[in-house]
Amino acid sequence: MKKNNMVAMILAGGRGSRLFDLTKKVAKPAVHFGGKYRIIDFALSNCANSHISTVGVLVQYESILLSSYSARSSTWGLDSKGGGVYVLSPREKDETGLGLYNGTADAIYQNLDFLDQEEADYVLVLSGDHIYKMDYEKMLQAHIDTNAEATIAVIEVPKKEASRFGIMNTDKDDRIIEFEEKPKEPKSNLASMGVYIFSYKNFRKYLKEDAKNAESAHDFGKSIIPAYLADGLKLQAYRFKGYWKDVGTIDSLWEANMDLLKDNSGLDLFDPDWKIYTDDAAATPQCIGNKAQIDNAFITQGAIINGKVNHSVIFSGAEICEDAKVDESVIMNNVTVGKGAKLTRCLVADDVRIPEGMKLGDDKSKEILLVSKALIAKKVGAEHE
Amino acid sequence: MSKVLGILNFEPSYVHVRGLEDFRPISATSILGRYRVIDFMLSNFTNSGIEAIKVFIKNRPRSTVEHITRTSYNLNSKRGKIQLLNGDTDYSNNDLFNVDVQAFRAYMEFIDVENPSYVIIAPSHFIFKQDFSEMLDYHIKSKNDITILYQNVNDADKQYLMGDLLNINDHKRVTEIHKNRGKYKKASVSLESYIMSTLTFKQLVDEAVMTSSLYSLSDIIADCARAMKIGAYQHHGFSACISTLNAYYDANMQIKKEKELLRLINDDWPIYTMTNDSCPTLYKKGAKVTGSLVANGCQIEGTVINSVIGRNVVIKEGAVIKDSVVLPDTLIDKNVKLECSVVDRLSIITHIKDLKGTKEEPIYIKRGDRI
Repeated sequence: MKKNNMVAMILAGGRGSRLFDLTKKVAKPAVHFGGKYRIIDFALSNCANSHISTVGVLVQYESILLSSYSARSSTWGLDSKGGGVYVLSPREKDETGLGLYNGTADAIYQNLDFLDQEEADYVLVLSGDHIYKMDYEKMLQAHIDTNAEATIAVIEVPKKEASRFGIMNTDKDDRIIEFEEKPKEPKSNLASMGVYIFSYKNFRKYLKEDAKNAESAHDFGKSIIPAYLADGLKLQAYRFKGYWKDVGTIDSLWEANMDLLKDNSGLDLFDPDWKIYTDDAAATPQCIGNKAQIDNAFITQGAIINGKVNHSVIFSGAEICEDAKVDESVIMNNVTVGKGAKLTRCLVADDVRIPEGMKLGDDKSKEILLVSKALIAKKVGAEHE
Repeated sequence: MSKVLGILNFEPSYVHVRGLEDFRPISATSILGRYRVIDFMLSNFTNSGIEAIKVFIKNRPRSTVEHITRTSYNLNSKRGKIQLLNGDTDYSNNDLFNVDVQAFRAYMEFIDVENPSYVIIAPSHFIFKQDFSEMLDYHIKSKNDITILYQNVNDADKQYLMGDLLNINDHKRVTEIHKNRGKYKKASVSLESYIMSTLTFKQLVDEAVMTSSLYSLSDIIADCARAMKIGAYQHHGFSACISTLNAYYDANMQIKKEKELLRLINDDWPIYTMTNDSCPTLYKKGAKVTGSLVANGCQIEGTVINSVIGRNVVIKEGAVIKDSVVLPDTLIDKNVKLECSVVDRLSIITHIKDLKGTKEEPIYIKRGDRI
């Protein structure tokens, strides 16, 4: 099929401070997920599967790993001639000097020259930290069919949770008439997924105007969408049905991992027609020992299991030693769970070594315990580097 | 490292892997769930710093071509090159590729183009880990005409049959080479890997072709054992010669043990293969898996004991797989019992509920079979 002239811009510069130690040295989109992935693989694979060939990744916070990872366009098959993944970090410019990205809209504004150069007709704005599978090509078709200036993907959320999201109030044709950021008393349950398609001509104009406004928060939800609404431009809601999750907190990151253990979570990673691509680790197959006991787990290559694993997700290179017990936990890359150690409702960060016999987490606790190197160091009373 | 050309030879005529060989050469056969046999030797080459590689394929090139062209083996994508040289795709009309030296001679111009100082010829039906740069250093230092990689084994009466055995003197010189007809348990078996100068290589190829149309490189080297300085370089660690279905089965069973696996494949010596972009494997409620090697993309509800499970295999509730090798993309349906079997790719086992081979004589289920 012919490639569309839509350029994707993935907002990947945020700090993700609610992930604490996980994002101390790594930007949130580069955090590992689901055994073998990084969070940004979902947005990038969706782009590739939606026949989008040019993707900008806007980075800022702790970007070394994220930039080098995203730049390997061939990982997602985004390496065709004339396309590619462009890592867009803040840069020094002739007229304005060096400026950091100051808000989501500002990040795009600062790269209007890139969008000009790519001769974009439509711009797809995405977040780099959501887990979902979506065909943006269909959304673009809806955008064109409804003659909208902007189309915003929405998902129905339970009414009582609606106050956690940006809520779109629509008319009977799903035209957006009002946008409320985290309303106390939501009028609808259509939450914005942070997926926008803009027709470029007006988008460019509004971003430029917004940039001039010193009072503006330079944010899509707070500045650009309200400006579109105020001027009566056509904003259309695009209803998405399926799995979608913002993994902004330890609990939600853990939950999204746990969803992979369900048969009917709606996120089908086995679908050969919509694969999620990721960097291929030159790892061995999963090595399951003679004494291993695995009951409901999602395990990837490079993992070595000799202990008990129950209702958990085990990432590449992780090792569960004999007599260790892992319950309802997420064990990230290259973690070693020592002999006889017991983990319950934990999320263990990359490269952590759990000493023999250590017990962590609690099956009654509501919150998930983030196990970092710092926590282990504190536990064993050793001095942390 | 001096300019070295890696030549991956095709399998000699003694290799007969029942069933599996009807669909692809041994080099392209799936092993350990996620690899092809050829990945081990090609990774040996690239991990040793060899950038120019020729892969000779006797016939049925499709699977090898597809696999190699989509795997980078960590070569620099501009400087590195893996070239595939294959015989006629028509099996009956393939005299050129009956013996390796005929093939080498036919494609000599492509070898000349690389202008290598040395050639390393390695087999495509062996699995072992070997740093060829160390072997080359030894070859140069000891001023050998030819250096052969070998291993001292205790099971030459059962494995490595019809390969070469080396008589080696105290000075690590090879004095005689003869075929392994299974007479000895203890022997020094050739791992069919040779290092020599390009000049020597070309002389040997010409000589072999002139001697007989049935002569192979190993035959002519055996003839030269007294006339030339042939050195022996010892290999330590695991090796497997995949020359029969049993050998294939045994190799899977041996390497799948954690210690052996991590000795053969690790961060310092990665084995590269083509990614399939499969997701991790889902072990569903009720699944029981022990003593096994499992690739990604599987959905397991049944029981797996002491087996090797390939990519994207579905094992339904109540199914029991024991001491078996299941190749990628197969479906083992509810309550099927499988023991000591090799299940080839894309097959579906649903109606036959009991398949039981022995460790000495594993059952083979054909590629794409629905039984």
